Amino acid sequence: MVLKVFFPSCCASAESGILIGRWICEQNSAVILAVVHFPFIPAQVKQYLSEVQRVTKVSVSVLGSWSNSKQEKEESLSEFLKDLGTIFSHEPWIQISKEGDSKFWSCSTLQKHTSNPEEEEIIFVYYDQCKVMLSHLHPPLDTAASTDHKADDASKLSAIFDTVARSKVLFMTDRYDEGPIKLTHWQSDGVEASIIVELLKQASVPACMLLAFLLSLVSGICRSRVLKFWPLSFLWSKLSTCEQLGHRLQHLQVISSTKNAQNQTQLMRKANIFVSLLVDVALGVLLMSWLYRKNRIGHLADTLIPVADHVAEELQNLLQWLMGAPAGLKMNRALDQVLGRFFLYHIHLWISYIHLLSPFIEMILWYVGLSACLGLTVVLCILSDIIALLTFHIYCFYVYGARLYCLKIYGLSSLWRLFRGKKWNVLRQRVDSCSYDLDQLFIGTLLFTILLFLLPTTALYYLVFTLLRLLVVIVQGLIHLLVDLIDSLPLYSIILRLCRSYRLAAGVKFRVLEQQDGKPLRLLMQINPLSYGSVVQTYRLPTYSCYPKDSWSSLCKKLFLGELIYPWKHKGKKQ
Amino acid sequence: MAAAAAAGGPPWRKVLYERQPFPDNYVDQRFLAELRKNVRARRYRYGAVAFQSGAVVQQLCSVCVFVLTWWYMAAGRLSPQRLFGAALASSLLGYVLFDAVDRGAGRRQSGRTRWADLKSTLVFAAFTYGFSPVLKTLTESISTDTIYAMSALMLLGHLIFFDYGANAAIVSSTLSLNMAIFASVCLASRLPRSLHTFVVVTFAMQIFALWPMLQKKLKARTPRCYIGVTVLFALVALAGLATISSVSAVLFASLLLAISCLCPYCLIRLQLLKDNIHGPWDEAEIKEDLSRFLM
Repeated sequence: MVLKVFFPSCCASAESGILIGRWICEQNSAVILAVVHFPFIPAQVKQYLSEVQRVTKVSVSVLGSWSNSKQEKEESLSEFLKDLGTIFSHEPWIQISKEGDSKFWSCSTLQKHTSNPEEEEIIFVYYDQCKVMLSHLHPPLDTAASTDHKADDASKLSAIFDTVARSKVLFMTDRYDEGPIKLTHWQSDGVEASIIVELLKQASVPACMLLAFLLSLVSGICRSRVLKFWPLSFLWSKLSTCEQLGHRLQHLQVISSTKNAQNQTQLMRKANIFVSLLVDVALGVLLMSWLYRKNRIGHLADTLIPVADHVAEELQNLLQWLMGAPAGLKMNRALDQVLGRFFLYHIHLWISYIHLLSPFIEMILWYVGLSACLGLTVVLCILSDIIALLTFHIYCFYVYGARLYCLKIYGLSSLWRLFRGKKWNVLRQRVDSCSYDLDQLFIGTLLFTILLFLLPTTALYYLVFTLLRLLVVIVQGLIHLLVDLIDSLPLYSIILRLCRSYRLAAGVKFRVLEQQDGKPLRLLMQINPLSYGSVVQTYRLPTYSCYPKDSWSSLCKKLFLGELIYPWKHKGKKQ
Repeated sequence: MAAAAAAGGPPWRKVLYERQPFPDNYVDQRFLAELRKNVRARRYRYGAVAFQSGAVVQQLCSVCVFVLTWWYMAAGRLSPQRLFGAALASSLLGYVLFDAVDRGAGRRQSGRTRWADLKSTLVFAAFTYGFSPVLKTLTESISTDTIYAMSALMLLGHLIFFDYGANAAIVSSTLSLNMAIFASVCLASRLPRSLHTFVVVTFAMQIFALWPMLQKKLKARTPRCYIGVTVLFALVALAGLATISSVSAVLFASLLLAISCLCPYCLIRLQLLKDNIHGPWDEAEIKEDLSRFLM
């Protein structure tokens, strides 16, 4: 079988020594982690290795020898290196030697206990230790569709990545340490650390504790009994702003928890939430600063009342049109007049109410605009709630029209059955024949006639108000879609993919380096980063979903029958 | 094969589960001996058929009288008060007659009290009176031609689905009554005032719902009286139609004569041409009572 040697590129110019790493027996590959230089005491090396093994739980052992000689091959050194094989017994014992500055190394293995002494083929795979250590391998997303072959490959790779990642403590000692062992690895020239990161780490613990305390106070107030009385609790459940605030509170609680993240996914999620909150608040503050400059709030408040008036006037025109002969349709004049006058009076009430509020609008808007510092999503939610409030009369009209129409359709279908002499059997859920009394028949037929002839009028009013309501619902839905997008986008992961793409690995690719006959094959292992689509799909944050509750066909059926539609899940309207 | 039969072998039996010396499709001289013709053909008598056709004549005349009344109201020749008075008087008479014909046996059998009758009368009178303004404006915006076509269709449907006493699947007395009421509402909404509407709808109710009930009872109890009433009714309808247009009166008279005299004659003549064959190949009909198999 082919022997694969994973050699860190940083050790290519190291001085002679012995190789330590992990031997993966199933794949016949050796992952080399570091080079221990002469002089060393074998017992101390063994003790060090057993300590490392205890801490990292990776079976690190001495794998072979490495000789980097500037001159010709020295016979004595090779003998010495072979003797080392007897001290650190490992099957097989790998001997790599590099002459001068040549790129092509020679490698030989010593097998003591094999029966067939054939020549093994050896492949050198160079890998960038720093990148492999920091990278996180993502399994293929469609695990159900992948074949066993792919799953095998993935697990082989993950074994290698795992080995390097878990041996972090091995890379903590650099050449300035005064230990008995001298190692060469990627950090041996000096352990990387940054003062800012250290300071942040130290400061984050008390900051987290303070934040957690404040949050527990806030959530305690929110859960108090005072706010749970019926009108208030109904109001909170209907306002989307409250839901968004609750969602953000949850996020803050996740960030400020003092437990460390258990694994990579949790860490990424915390980071994503943090960055998303930051961006949200930044955009909100930007918006706020733009709003409060040049008294834009005042302008907004001034235009709000005329806009509401304009909407009401348009509605009145629409009703006058309906009360005439709209589109040449034949309406029942009496019913038309009744319905039209009723709705006009409603609009009149609404306009009076708005005008009553007009002195206070500017002040209310000013204070509400302050909440933009909580984030852009909160502002969008408030906007959606304001739209719902301003179009409240359209919602009322829709409910009246829908209820009237639904009643009419229900009555008509029941009376049509009476017309034919049949009845709905509730027990058997089918239509049965029935012998009615004379007066039942008579009154039933009269009512049927009346309802049938009044149907076009009611249907038209219902149609018009349903269309208006759907328009408002679509606008609100778009706003909520935007809010959802901002909530769920994993910004940190995307930035990571942009700047440090090796940290999110989908797999590896191998590049074949120059070859020479007689020397082992050399490959360079490079990390293949995840595509942006899979980054978003893997790391997107969960939100309180606002997806449509009904499919198209059931929506059409509800519209036809006059049932009230609430298109979004979890979304309510103001009472 | 005939030789085999004539040879005195076992006679041919009409079974296929035994091997016989005859081919499978052999039949002997008793072929088609079990054929029966017109077993269930009924022998009609002319008088009985003509008597039964009186139901159809009655309904046609009812429809005609109703349309005539509406026409007079629409032309202004008949005032609603007079019609209301006349209808009230005749329904009172009919009510008394209904009980007197079988001397109260039917009422005792059905268990329906006079108080219940009074209640339903009051209910539908109040209902109709209350809704008559609504009924009047119901078809304002629909064109006259549509109304006429719809009413004609509905009255035709009434005639088709009426229960003349036959036992057919198409018969549905509920549907026919409802169609008649629908037609009456359509027509009534064309009249000038809501009082007209109320009176016409009430009259329609009486002539399409109450009159057939009385006639059915008369037919069962006093056939001679029934014939007399039918003839009288037909004459009244013809006379009223004649005041409007003589052509239509002539046509209507010929229609009535055709139905009451010509059609029974045709039926009896055509019965002679009946040619139904029955035999052991017919589908089996279970005639005995199977309820003893139910647990």
